[in-house]
Parts: sequence; C-alpha cells; structure tokens
Amino acid sequence: MDLIQLLLNGLSLGAVYALFALGYTLVFSVLGVINFSHGAVFTLGAYFTYLLIGGQAGANGLLAGLQLPFALPFALALPLAGLASALVALLIERVAFRPLRRRGADSLLALISSLGAGVILVNLIQLLMGAESYAIPIGTLGALPAALSLGGAQVRTVQVLLLAISVLLLVVLSVWLEGSRSGKALQAVSEDPVTAQLLGIDSDAMIRLAFGISGFLAGVSGGLVGLSVSIAGPYFGISYGLKALGVLVLGGLGSVPGAMLGGLIIGLAEAFVPAAWSGWKDAVAYGFLFLILVLRPQGLLGKPQTTKV
Amino acid sequence: MTAAHDLAAPSVPLLELRRLTVRYGAITALRGVDLSLQQGELVTLLGANGAGKSTTLRAISQLVRASAGSIHWRGADLAGRRPEATVKLGIGHCPEGRRVLARQSVASNLELGAWLRRDKAGIAADLERCYQLFPRLAERQRQLAGSLSGGEQQMLAIARSLMARPSLLLLDEPSLGLAPKLVAEVMGTLAELHRDGLTMLLVEQNANAALAIADRGLVLEAGAVRLAGTAQELLANAELRASYLGDGEGSGP
Ligand SMILES: Nc1ncnc2c1ncn2[C@@H]1O[C@H](COP(=O)(O)OP(=O)(O)OP(=O)(O)O)[C@@H](O)[C@H]1O
Ligand SMILES: [Mg+2]
Repeated sequence: MDLIQLLLNGLSLGAVYALFALGYTLVFSVLGVINFSHGAVFTLGAYFTYLLIGGQAGANGLLAGLQLPFALPFALALPLAGLASALVALLIERVAFRPLRRRGADSLLALISSLGAGVILVNLIQLLMGAESYAIPIGTLGALPAALSLGGAQVRTVQVLLLAISVLLLVVLSVWLEGSRSGKALQAVSEDPVTAQLLGIDSDAMIRLAFGISGFLAGVSGGLVGLSVSIAGPYFGISYGLKALGVLVLGGLGSVPGAMLGGLIIGLAEAFVPAAWSGWKDAVAYGFLFLILVLRPQGLLGKPQTTKV
Repeated sequence: MTAAHDLAAPSVPLLELRRLTVRYGAITALRGVDLSLQQGELVTLLGANGAGKSTTLRAISQLVRASAGSIHWRGADLAGRRPEATVKLGIGHCPEGRRVLARQSVASNLELGAWLRRDKAGIAADLERCYQLFPRLAERQRQLAGSLSGGEQQMLAIARSLMARPSLLLLDEPSLGLAPKLVAEVMGTLAELHRDGLTMLLVEQNANAALAIADRGLVLEAGAVRLAGTAQELLANAELRASYLGDGEGSGP
C-alpha cells in the first residue's frame, strides 16, 4: 500500500478515535465520570445510519426483514442517525446518571451504571438486529466516485470523507467550547459547579447538553466507520470505545486538544503497523499508550493536577 | 402579582430570615437567626471564625438547606428553590474565597456573570461600568483569571457578581487577604454601589472597615445573633470594641 493511502488511513482512524474520545471528554468534564455507554451509542449510530439509508434487518433478529419505507442518501442519514443517538444518550443520562447524582452517589457507581446501560443497549441491538454484520453500500454517497486521486495516488473516497467530516466536527466543537457563551458555561460547570450555580448556570442543563453532543458525535462516528469498514455486529463499538478510552488518557483526561492529539498518535501508530503484523495492531497501539503514560502520567496535554468533585 | 401582594409591598422587606436554623450533620451552624433587609440597605454581618456568617449567605442562596425557620424574598418563601433560581430572582452572591474561573479569561468571567441576561446593550454598558470601577481588570481582559493576583481576583469576583445586575448582593469577606490600601479601595467601591441604591449583605472580619460604610450591623456568635444595631451603635459598643474592633486587647473576659 502506498504512503499516502497509509497516512490517510492513519489520519482518518485517528480522527474517529478523537471524535469518540471527545464524547468521553465532554461528559467527563461536567461529571467527572467516564461514560461507559458511549461505545454502545457509537454502535447504535452505525445501525441507525444503516436503517436510514434503507438497509434491511437480517434474518436473525426480532426485526427480521424490517426495512424503512424510505431510503435516505447517506448525507441525510448520517446527521439524522447522530440526532437519534443524541436522544439515546439523553435517555441514558436520565436513567443511568441523574438518579445517582440526585442521591449524591459516588462517581464509581455512575461508571458501573453507565456500563450496565451500554451492555443492555448492545444486547438490545443483538436481539433486534441479530449478530450478523451489515455493510453500508458506497452507492449511498450519490455521485461520488469510489476512489479519488490525491497527489498522484489513488485513495478511497470514504477515507477522505471520514477525515473531512471528523475534522470539521472537531473544529466546530472546539470553536463552540472556547468561543460561545454556552461553551464557556459548560466549562464553568466543569471547573467549579458551585460557582457556576452562583452565576445562574443550570448545571443539569449543561450536563444534558454534554450528553446530547457526545451522543451526536458517537452516532456520527459510528455511521462513518460503518460506511468505511462495515458494521461487524453489535459488539463492534467496544474495541473502538476501549481504544478511544486509551486516546483520552493519552491526551490527558478532560483536555480537548489532548483528545485530538491522542487520536492522531494512536491512529497513525496503528496504520503504520506492517500488513504482515496486522494481528499485532492493538498490541502496538496499547504499547504506545503504555510507554507514553509511564513517561508522562498526566497524559500529553493533561493538567498537572485535576480538581474534580 | 396579586392585589394583596401589592398592598403589602411597602412593608415587606426585600429579604427576611425568620428563626433560620442550619445543620451540617451533627453540627448546628445557625440556631434561629432573625434578619431582615430593606431595599437599599447595606447591612454587615460580623463574627468570629466559624460563627456561621458564610452559612447564612449559603442558606440564602439555597446552597445549603434550612433545617428550620424560613427565608423570604419579597414576601415569597425561597424554600426548595435551586441556587440558580435565586440568581434569577435577583440575589447575587460573591462567594468566600473569590472562586473566579481560573481557566477562563477575565472577560469570559464577566460575560458569564451576565449568563441569565439577554439585553446585549445593557450587558455592554454594565461591562463598561465594571471596567470603570476596576480599571485594573480592563487592562487584563484577555488574561486568564487564574493568573491574576489575589486582589485582582477579588475585584473580578465582585465585578462578576455585579454583571448579573442583582437586586441584592451577598458579599462574603471581600477584603480577605487584601493589602490595607486595597481594602480601602474595595470598601470605597461598595460604598459607591450603596449610594447608587444597591442592597447589600456584607460579611466581614474587618469590622471597622465594614461598619464605616454600613447602615446596620449584626454580630453572630456560635450561630446566633449576639448583637444588632446601627453602625454607630455597634462602633460605640464597648463589648464589640473589645472582641472585634482590635482595641482593648487583653481586657476581654
Ligand atoms: N460543609 C460543612 N460541613 C460541616 N460543617 C460545616 C460545613 N461548613 C461549615 N461548617 C461548620 O459550620 C460552622 C459555621 O461555618 P461558616 O463557614 O458559616 O463560618 P464563618 O462564620 O463563615 O467562618 P469564617 O469567618 O471562618 O469564614 C463552623 O463550625 C463550621 O465548622
Ligand atoms: Mg466564612
């Protein structure tokens, strides 16, 4: 495989990890908890996208043979799948996080309940859609060709799209967080929830906002990965979720640029593992993670000390 | 608004605490505190460490729940409201220890002070006013709040609480940790806000400075009101002089 395609693979994979990790980061920054249902929402986003483009449910689930009465182009299906995923993330916040928060429970409990919510979601997908894999056909992209020529090399259009959309979302999100009133309010809740209350900021609303955005990001990245490498089954989000968790820790918990940098490093590291060693991809990625953390325990861009309730 | 409310309005205090009791687990921080504030008054709440001054302010802002007694705002019971809701009602709270948002700029801190407001022109005018009151903040608009000196952070905290345009401002030890010259500056600013008609409840350790600008004062001791009176009465009170106003060292009981 030539270098440009390899680089593109690494970058687009890294961008997906970064999007994923950013979802964790948003929720972590307002709640101080890792939301372990995030990977399941990613998976769900892929299935939503598949159904919205007119895909048919396989023979093994309760929904066997089901097909929506319409087939949307990918460009429309993806944001809709993102919105549907955001609603699911809000539902998870409502049932798995808020009741515990109201009782002042330890954040470890919220971590476990979010893990539970994720497992239930994945099982539900399996029950409804079966364990088979689904592919999102390239044809749903409309008139776009399957390959583009880039600097003399042929690269997959899907890969370019994946990278472009992820980067766009990352940029929009950073600009919003740093530059808008509501982005600043969300950061205020993250830094000091009590002071945020004294400014009149409704922390519950900010927490819902964080869940909604992170659900949207998860759903969109799920749909993109589904298009790029197909949906391998209800459990396919788990390995991405774990990898993104690594990215998160690597970049520095709670740091938005850190999540992006971490995604880039892990994605490139994986892409440049020679094909002959492809079975070692994960080992290389996690090896990198281990090495960096030994050298820099707070992560690459993490704050030296975390003040979190 | 009901007719009954309108009729009652002239005599209803802006804020009224009745037999307010607050407990933290086994610790009783306030035991039946009575306090009322009329529109436009500057009242100072004095007392030793642990007397319950901050707890009083925290209870008004609903950061802690009253175990007994009540807090009325313009005649309406505040019980059960969320802290954000009290801000919406017009109660500003400049908390103990400044608590500026260290990771955001001075300008962002002030902008978030006006979070509940939507009147762009009014916000811009108030921002101008804050920068006039505290020219040092104007010079440091883009700087991260965490990199300000303690005194500058205190100014930012006060300015930020003004940005909500509160009807009542609760101030928790705004002079803490400031150099004498800065204490005078901050007190001067509060006096100016008082002249403009802002109602304030000022918690202070620096009783001399607070009584110099206040209309009335209360002294808390172990969670109960020990003394209350006009600023002049308290300044003249021998007992208070001995224990809080720094003279008569060694002559106390
Ligand atoms: N979160 C809490 N948990 C338990 N006890 C508390 C808590 N906050 C305050 N207290 C106790 O309540 C009492 C009153 O505290 P408060 O902070 O109101 O005092 P203060 O008058 O503001 O003192 P200072 O001048 O030192 O700020 C103290 O005995 C304190 O130990
Ligand atoms: Mg105090």
